[in-house]
Amino acid sequence: MGLPNESGDLLSKMDSDASRRLFPLRFYESHLSNSTRPDGRPLKSAREAFVGPGDVASADGSAMTKIGSTTMLAAIKMEIMTPSADKPDEGSIAVEFYMPPICSPLVRPGRPAEIAPVISKQLYDTIMSSGMIDLKELSLTSGKAAWMVYLDIYCLDADGALFDAALYSAAAAFSFLQIPVVSLSEEGRLTIIPEEGNGDKSDKDVVNKGKRKLTISSLPFSLTCGLHKNYILPDPTSEEETLMETFVTVVLNSSGHLVSLYKPGGPVLAQTSTIQDCIALTRQRMTDLQKSLDEAITEMKMD
Amino acid sequence: MEYVSPEGLRIDGRRPLEMRKLHAEMGVVAKADGSASFVMGNTKVIAAVYGPREVQNRSQQMSDQALVRCEYSMANFSTGDRMRKQKGDRRSTEISLVIRQTLEACILTHLMPRSQIDIYVQVLQADGGTRSACINAATLALADAAIPMRDIVTSCSAGYLNSTPLLDLNYVEDSAGGPDVTVGILPKMDKVTLLQMDSKLPIDIFENVMQLAIEGCKAVATYIQEILLENTKQLEYHRGV
Repeated sequence: MGLPNESGDLLSKMDSDASRRLFPLRFYESHLSNSTRPDGRPLKSAREAFVGPGDVASADGSAMTKIGSTTMLAAIKMEIMTPSADKPDEGSIAVEFYMPPICSPLVRPGRPAEIAPVISKQLYDTIMSSGMIDLKELSLTSGKAAWMVYLDIYCLDADGALFDAALYSAAAAFSFLQIPVVSLSEEGRLTIIPEEGNGDKSDKDVVNKGKRKLTISSLPFSLTCGLHKNYILPDPTSEEETLMETFVTVVLNSSGHLVSLYKPGGPVLAQTSTIQDCIALTRQRMTDLQKSLDEAITEMKMD
Repeated sequence: MEYVSPEGLRIDGRRPLEMRKLHAEMGVVAKADGSASFVMGNTKVIAAVYGPREVQNRSQQMSDQALVRCEYSMANFSTGDRMRKQKGDRRSTEISLVIRQTLEACILTHLMPRSQIDIYVQVLQADGGTRSACINAATLALADAAIPMRDIVTSCSAGYLNSTPLLDLNYVEDSAGGPDVTVGILPKMDKVTLLQMDSKLPIDIFENVMQLAIEGCKAVATYIQEILLENTKQLEYHRGV
């Protein structure tokens, strides 16, 4: 690559777009030394997050979230299933995360994103271990019928912080969820009545008329920080993610408890103080995320 | 079942020759070279274009023109029942091929040899006419990516139920078992690039229905041209022209 002096001289003569492509690390570190990040944010600042209803008419609950350009669309569909023999009083949740080719130039039809199933699993583990949903609440008739909740999250634009945006959209989708109305047929089977169903049947057979919303005890919120040399950089963009080798994801719930901590290896070793700093940043972030989500929920109730 | 009431109203309250409400936006996927969303009634699709870029599979590289690839996939929740297979099934593969060939006809591929243009379409909500919505979205995405084209391609469908030609079928009307004619045209050049029909129709009625679909395509073309003009004005504004 030449002597450090050489590329330094070249850097000063080149315009910023070219140096960004050819010497990304130097470009980035020159920003960091000025306490700013290439997109103009202060060092410790995360991008603004937006949340809103997903407008997916065919789903029982849906939400769309944006963190910077990263866009996630989450949709929940509920079906009736027979619960397993060893857990007759519980329903089940299936979480799947997709990165279709539209979201990033790195995803191609023959080459699916490596990170997608990893985030799928991370989301599933976080949602289940956070205790957000009580599986017993998903039971309809013990041993005979329970809800199967399918949560599908599609990444429509991938620009870093995929897990954070996906978890946020999952939390929002569950908050907006309307449980479908269920009725008991003559053969004693439970079936879902579609929204435009017959008016005359509505009151007689409906089993769960009053129970259209899930009780959510506490919502999980997360923040991913990249660690680079001595810097902690919350909410990296995809360009920053290629330069950082180590990430720490902290998930807190609305009661302020630590739900999960994820640092999947990497050359940068994090001391306790670093982890505590990440937790503090996540706590700050959580207040903003929670506020936006509460506003979105109130707006939806008003419609 | 009655698809057109005696007063002449369809199931969703439209008149037989009335199209569903259109809404399009360009530049919806920041990471893509070009992207657009297209909504026809309850059918919502997003198209993203990546390219021209390096050919992924060297053996497919063409020395005199660009390689065009297309993938159509539907979200799990896009239809009434949750789907298990979203792409790779026969229907998706067929639609991918149709979209690719339709658009390949209008892209000036000889201007970009040894490169690849990827067109990805994702259906978020399906209520009939997904093929047409995808082609319309892909046209806008290609324009957003500044890929040179002969003309835009617009598409619309039409059918024939209860002895009435109907424009822009929704899912219920499409599944009624009547004929479904999908047409794609190059509006300025006044040429038909895509024509698909299933079920049976007497020839004279087919001509009527196809003409109706072409009228629908022209209406979509007018709307798309408005969107493109608006987008260009925005670009000029941002450049300070």
